[in-house]
Amino acid sequence: MKGFLENTWKHRAHVVMALPAFLILFFIMYVPMAGLVMAFKSFDYTKGIWASPWNGLDNFKYLLASKTTFVNMTKNTLIYYVIFTALGTFLNVVLAIAIDQFMFKKMAKTMQTIMIIPVFISYAAVQFIVYAFISTDTGILNHALGLSTRFYSTPSMWPAILTIVKMWNSVGYGSVLYMSVLAGIDTALYEAAEIDGANKWQKIKHITIPALVPMITVMLLLSVGNVMRSDTGLFYQVTRNSGVLYSTTQVIDSYVLNAIFKNSNFGFTAATSFFQSVVGLLMMLFANGMVRKIAPENALF
Amino acid sequence: MSKKKGNSADLAPSRHEKKGFGQIVLGFFLLLYTLFCGLPIVLVFIAAFTDEKTITKNGFSFFPEKWSMAGFNAVLKYGKQLATSYGITIFITVFGTFLGLLVMAMFAYSISRKEFRLSKFLSVYLLIPMLFNGGQLSGYIVFTSYYHLKDSLWLLILPLCVSTMNVIILRTYIVNSIPSELMEAAKIDGAGEYRTFFQITLPLLKPSMAAVGFMMATAYWNDWQNALLYITTDSKKPLQLLLVNIQKSIEFLLNNSNVPAAARAAMGGNIPQYSATMATVVVVIAPIMVVYPFFQKYFVKGLTVGSVKG
Repeated sequence: MKGFLENTWKHRAHVVMALPAFLILFFIMYVPMAGLVMAFKSFDYTKGIWASPWNGLDNFKYLLASKTTFVNMTKNTLIYYVIFTALGTFLNVVLAIAIDQFMFKKMAKTMQTIMIIPVFISYAAVQFIVYAFISTDTGILNHALGLSTRFYSTPSMWPAILTIVKMWNSVGYGSVLYMSVLAGIDTALYEAAEIDGANKWQKIKHITIPALVPMITVMLLLSVGNVMRSDTGLFYQVTRNSGVLYSTTQVIDSYVLNAIFKNSNFGFTAATSFFQSVVGLLMMLFANGMVRKIAPENALF
Repeated sequence: MSKKKGNSADLAPSRHEKKGFGQIVLGFFLLLYTLFCGLPIVLVFIAAFTDEKTITKNGFSFFPEKWSMAGFNAVLKYGKQLATSYGITIFITVFGTFLGLLVMAMFAYSISRKEFRLSKFLSVYLLIPMLFNGGQLSGYIVFTSYYHLKDSLWLLILPLCVSTMNVIILRTYIVNSIPSELMEAAKIDGAGEYRTFFQITLPLLKPSMAAVGFMMATAYWNDWQNALLYITTDSKKPLQLLLVNIQKSIEFLLNNSNVPAAARAAMGGNIPQYSATMATVVVVIAPIMVVYPFFQKYFVKGLTVGSVKG
């Protein structure tokens, strides 16, 4: 202990340098963690979080009783997570391989630049782009097909719309990571395969894809920790937060955001947040444990 | 890469031709996907210059019947608010990015020093917020009713300032790409800890900071959520909030069909319609698209250096 204190004093410059980030993390991330006790309280704005009376598990009973809201948004959160992760990973890999195989490198570079741009456009702006395509009266789709589909009041269409928007937004950027792996593959492997008479597909199947597998595994496992979190902007902005669509578009994050704006139902929302954080923690621990078993050098801790 | 090209040239002509055809097909699909990504953005620019009546009559189109500058003129009518919002967004982006880079680089440097025994604790301290967090609701209540920061620009800056992933990226870069002998040599030459950091480490950390900095800057530029939650005064509204509010006023106009037609027509002059909305979108997204190509090489490299390694 004495040695530890001496060491800390000797390196007090490091303590000073770490302090600003330490304090910001403390006030922005750590203090709100304590705020999660709200889930076990009957929250009263005038009294604040600490002075509000405890009410045990009442909030959670309420949660389980309200099948439609809670079950629906949890279900949506999970379904979109699965679709986005599965399809996203697949497309990231396909795109990375396609760009890597394309021999006109300058052109590939320009194409890649354009493919990455969507990730840098905020969903507050994206929603207007989506609107231009699918609005009932002025949308390109309706005009091109001569229809008058009311997209913004048809919940069944939104899983497809949100998936397309999400892929448009993220696939170009997501493939960058896989491309860096492909760039690291020893070209001697391809040459050897060619001498052995392998064709293009065989090379992809037996060299390229196996080289990508570790990265795919790690990225998938790491994403498991975020299973309860969503791209709030996608579900809040792109759907124009339309209540008619909630059955297929409301996720936990957008529900919580709405609850804050409506200033209502804090007990229910706090219980939802608590559930979200705890499940997130468990999944993260599980995922990291798996990564440690499969590829220890990629584990977070 | 050039090596592969050389190989293909060595092949027999017939196979080479086949390969050429495959390349055309591949190029065709890549081009299709590029258009899928790029055309929606092109549409925004076209719509911003399209005549309002043409949009209401024919809908949005890549080939509008009539062009017009009215959308941009309407945007200029916001005048003061647009200039104010631009100022706020630029201030937050620049200040937040530099503040974040500085405090994160210092933190990353501290925890990368093996001789500093507290660094183990600090690494765990850094990691925990990634595993567990209080969520939006308790953050909202803590920030507004305990810190009393409602309507303060600090709430646009601090929440995006320090992120675990970015610190990990910076630390990985320090550990893998900056030889610690350099730092030791500086100390032997009599430089103190601070001088070593600011004159040796920080300059060498530039490629990684460019990558992280660009990601941070776009996050600041694009942040609408904190603005929507916390900012109420017009003079503090960033660009993204301006976008969100335009949507609200259009919705108001569309949903209130019981507003008399004459009154709606009178309001029509002030409420931004399609082309003006798109012009605003252009104004908001254009700066990123102009700056991004210059940073592309950094972030592709910087991201791949350390993203998932702990």
